[in-house]
Amino acid sequence: MAVTGALRTELAEAVSSCRVLVVGAGGIGCELLKNLLLTGFSNLDVIDLDTIDVSNLNRQFLFQKKHVGRSKAQESVLQFCPGASITAYHDSIMNVEYDVEFFRKFTLVMNALDNRAARNHVNRMCLAADVPLIESGTAGYLGQVTVIKKGVTECYECQPKPTQKTFPGCTIRNTPSEPIHCIVWAKYLFNQLFGEEDADQEVSPDTADPEASWEPTEAAQRANASNEYGDIKRVSTKQWAKSTGYDPVKLFNKLFKDDIRYLLTMDKLWRKRKAPVPLDWASLHNSEKDSTEQNNASSVGLKDQHVLDVAGYAQLFSQSVETLRDQLSEKRDSAELVWDKDDPPAMDFVTSAANLRMYIFSMNMKSRFDIKSMAGNIIPAIATTNAVISGLIVLEGLKILSGNIEQCRTIIKEKFGMVAPDVQIEDGKGTILISSEAGETEANNNRKLSDFGIRNGTRLQADDFLQDYTLLINVLQSEELEKDVEFEVVGDAPEKAPQKPLEEGAKGITNGSDDGAQPSTSTAPEQDDVLIVDSDEESPSSSSDVSMETVTLKRKLPDEEAVSNKRKRMEPSAEQEDDIIALD
Amino acid sequence: MAQGSVVKEQKYDRQLRLWGDHGQEALESAHVCLVNATATGTEILKNLVLPGIGSFTIVDGNVVSGEDVGNNFFLHKGSIGKSRAQTSMELLQELNEDVTGNYVAENPDQLLDNDPSFFCKFTLVIATQLSESTLLRLAETLWSSNIPLLVCRAYGFVGYMRIIVREHTVIESHPDNALEDLRLDQPFSELREHLQLYDLNHMERKDHSHTPWIIVVAKYLGTWHKENAGQIPKSYKEKEAFRDFIRQGILKNENGVPEDEENFEEAVKNVNTALNTTKVPSNVEDIFIDERCKNITQQSSDFWILARAVKEFTACEGKGNLPLRGTIPDMIADSDKFIKLQNVYREKAKNDASTVENYVSKLLQSVGRPPESISEKDIRLFCRNCAFLRIVRCRSLEEEYGVDTAKKDDIVSFMENPDNEIVFYLMMRAVDRFHKQHGRYPGVYNYQVDSDFGKLKTCLNSFLQEYGLSLSVKDDYIQEFCRYGAAEPHTIASFLGGAAAQEAIKIITKQFVIFNNTFIYNAMLQTSATFQL
Repeated sequence: MAVTGALRTELAEAVSSCRVLVVGAGGIGCELLKNLLLTGFSNLDVIDLDTIDVSNLNRQFLFQKKHVGRSKAQESVLQFCPGASITAYHDSIMNVEYDVEFFRKFTLVMNALDNRAARNHVNRMCLAADVPLIESGTAGYLGQVTVIKKGVTECYECQPKPTQKTFPGCTIRNTPSEPIHCIVWAKYLFNQLFGEEDADQEVSPDTADPEASWEPTEAAQRANASNEYGDIKRVSTKQWAKSTGYDPVKLFNKLFKDDIRYLLTMDKLWRKRKAPVPLDWASLHNSEKDSTEQNNASSVGLKDQHVLDVAGYAQLFSQSVETLRDQLSEKRDSAELVWDKDDPPAMDFVTSAANLRMYIFSMNMKSRFDIKSMAGNIIPAIATTNAVISGLIVLEGLKILSGNIEQCRTIIKEKFGMVAPDVQIEDGKGTILISSEAGETEANNNRKLSDFGIRNGTRLQADDFLQDYTLLINVLQSEELEKDVEFEVVGDAPEKAPQKPLEEGAKGITNGSDDGAQPSTSTAPEQDDVLIVDSDEESPSSSSDVSMETVTLKRKLPDEEAVSNKRKRMEPSAEQEDDIIALD
Repeated sequence: MAQGSVVKEQKYDRQLRLWGDHGQEALESAHVCLVNATATGTEILKNLVLPGIGSFTIVDGNVVSGEDVGNNFFLHKGSIGKSRAQTSMELLQELNEDVTGNYVAENPDQLLDNDPSFFCKFTLVIATQLSESTLLRLAETLWSSNIPLLVCRAYGFVGYMRIIVREHTVIESHPDNALEDLRLDQPFSELREHLQLYDLNHMERKDHSHTPWIIVVAKYLGTWHKENAGQIPKSYKEKEAFRDFIRQGILKNENGVPEDEENFEEAVKNVNTALNTTKVPSNVEDIFIDERCKNITQQSSDFWILARAVKEFTACEGKGNLPLRGTIPDMIADSDKFIKLQNVYREKAKNDASTVENYVSKLLQSVGRPPESISEKDIRLFCRNCAFLRIVRCRSLEEEYGVDTAKKDDIVSFMENPDNEIVFYLMMRAVDRFHKQHGRYPGVYNYQVDSDFGKLKTCLNSFLQEYGLSLSVKDDYIQEFCRYGAAEPHTIASFLGGAAAQEAIKIITKQFVIFNNTFIYNAMLQTSATFQL
């Protein structure tokens, strides 16, 4: 094959003889299989639990419209490269039969997964079987590839990942304060009504809310306030809904009027919060005519991106309940519907129910498009990033096969950058070294660090307000830096500051996982510690205040203070350096 | 996206989240030409066909060889000996029924001889594996008719891309950390009026804690302004003091303990960004003073007419500020207060855009174009993004290759580090010279690798000498390039296919910012660099 020109003979042999497991045949998986086969790999196993969906077709090129609904793993290997031996499993990699013995059969394992649970699992199995793993993920224009090898590199779980955001039950049931709470509620409601009932997904008001803490005397009052509710409560939501024949109006009035009135009786909840406002089907439909003042700016663009008014969502709610009821009755007895973000009626139901609840709780309603992102944990996926990343995976695989594991890099497409830092010394006085305000601290540029009382062990705090990002810097001293190297950053440079959620919602890298209830962009600002080893060599100060490093760290300690302080590395910097590849 | 738009919306759901439906529309009306269906070429096209490019045309006079089948997914054994343009077109088209594929089984040189205007009907031309002379001819033809050209090359473990476009204007550059456009330092009259409706000192507790933070900051800023001789907090210290000032406004309960007012916390958190001075960003000022903005003619593109209209607005009604963006971030507030505030910004943005629209009509009339030839929608989009406008102007290939115009000093200074990625650029120029002299690339057959080393070194040195580049290239690189034998490993083609298609999408959708003008990828060390050559 053509590649033998570029691969050394021994490597070409290793490539054609080794057995590789590809976990996942989705966006990255399709590209990866193609790349492996065309690089000369001929002994592959591929496993994927999923079937093919229409929304996969914009990037998963091994599939066509006629394949929708079929197994990804099996379909992906049918067509091409008859010379290669490929085994396909339409199954979950987390099944017990894929045990350590199974993993030991492979020279290399490559992950092309979309969720963290499976990633964690494969990571552990590869460590147990001592097989090198290449982990990867993409999210929009961003992507990453990492090599994991027992005893050599970090493993997938060495660094804590932002966990799936869970919400306390009472927030969902009683006191939602963000759109996501209403969306989660609406998904729960879907399952309560049409799907598999789950006691952890209760949607009705939670009387055990510690915050509500009822006085016994008030209980009777409350019971009176919601007579109907008392009847309903004894049966499950689903049974009750069935008994009404899934009457949309009855459902609407229970969920958006009676339940809310009941919540209002728990008045402690509303002392500091804005109380919800119940909706009434009948009055909503009377006032429908004067609700002409639509959101004017959203008259262009796709239907999905419009935000309707309350009456519109009430209408959508009623339609979707009827559609789903019919779908349910077409199934055999006791059958259930499964929520799927790509199923239009299910998505309509969640959009309308979530928006009605947002309205009740005084939140700004969201478009179907946005709700789909949040409810489905959609990570935008495109062909180009997958192509780039799968190219990189194979290159890392080649390096492992040629025995150069130490050459493998963690590749991330972007690293951190401070936009407008303010740096102060943590000395209790808050002496300011650098200000984001131009000119304010220019006078400091020619002074030495020691002039500010900064010495070995001083902590600096750098705030970047533009990014809501704080960095703590421990200044260490060293005399052993190479010439011309003015400082060194020990320890990990933190990832880029968490971006503020943009209007469009999800941006930011989440390793392609879809198990976080929210994109990682909305996590709270984290504090990262960075250690800086400073040399005591004098050097001219730079006048610019462009980046934190060039300004702070060029001010050096005078010699006399350096004597006792030999280079101390407070933290081993064992990990390989992250390389930056700018692809865009 | 007229018919079947629901299915399309579903199919393209994930990418619509990145470039929007207008980006998708631009993609669907684009016609891309690929010169040479190499592995890199078909990988690029694959990544354009999948997201639904309108149509593509493959120009390739070669027939499929065994080697092609080895590294190209879109060619198979059965197609050996057939037209490479036709076979790869057929397989690529299978990927997406919405896309139209065409092919021309002719060499680009022939086309350039007989019908150079052929290439001028495309939105974008992508060229792979062209000889230096053909490439220069193609580049010249496209340069003179202002068609963008993207040159891509996978050579062993090295990737190369070059964008050649006279001028590429970007309205939606999608900046990563854009600041909100709130104008709190210079509140417009409608905002000032709206602020009058609030009296934070005499409010129900519920209303107090549901007042949007923008109003909280604006109110306290007004007071600060009065007490500090018309200044707003600028320094870090002043900003800290201003934060404390806001904190003191948090209501206290009967025991004097501050209440939990999340809107005030938001206000404190947002002080720094909210107090950002409103001014015209330097990239936009550069656009305003550009000759093309000053001289609007019949040839002026919509971008320049819009830029000029915004400039007039800024100088006149805007009193030095750009049209208002008109969006505010999500925040803790009750719907009523939020929507009212949102409408204040929205209305102002709408009014600003209408004023800009008047300028646009006048400008259009002055060059004899009908006033409605730029839609209201486009004007609004432009106004919303006017702080982020970008222009990319690349040098032509002729300038890069001209002995007098080449960026010799830059190259020499990059080469102060002998392992700088620029060394791969030099090596590619050397192998092209080798090809010109010997009619083949070095080291294509294993037995040639050693004997070609000296020849390649000679080519490299004659190239360096011709350009007066006094620098030396490590023998290792010459050796490595001989060993590559011009092979195009599929995995490099895949990487480059993704990266190049992404640039192509940026060029077509005019969203995000393209690189200027040369990108080099080193697959051995996983590093990359861009250069302006």
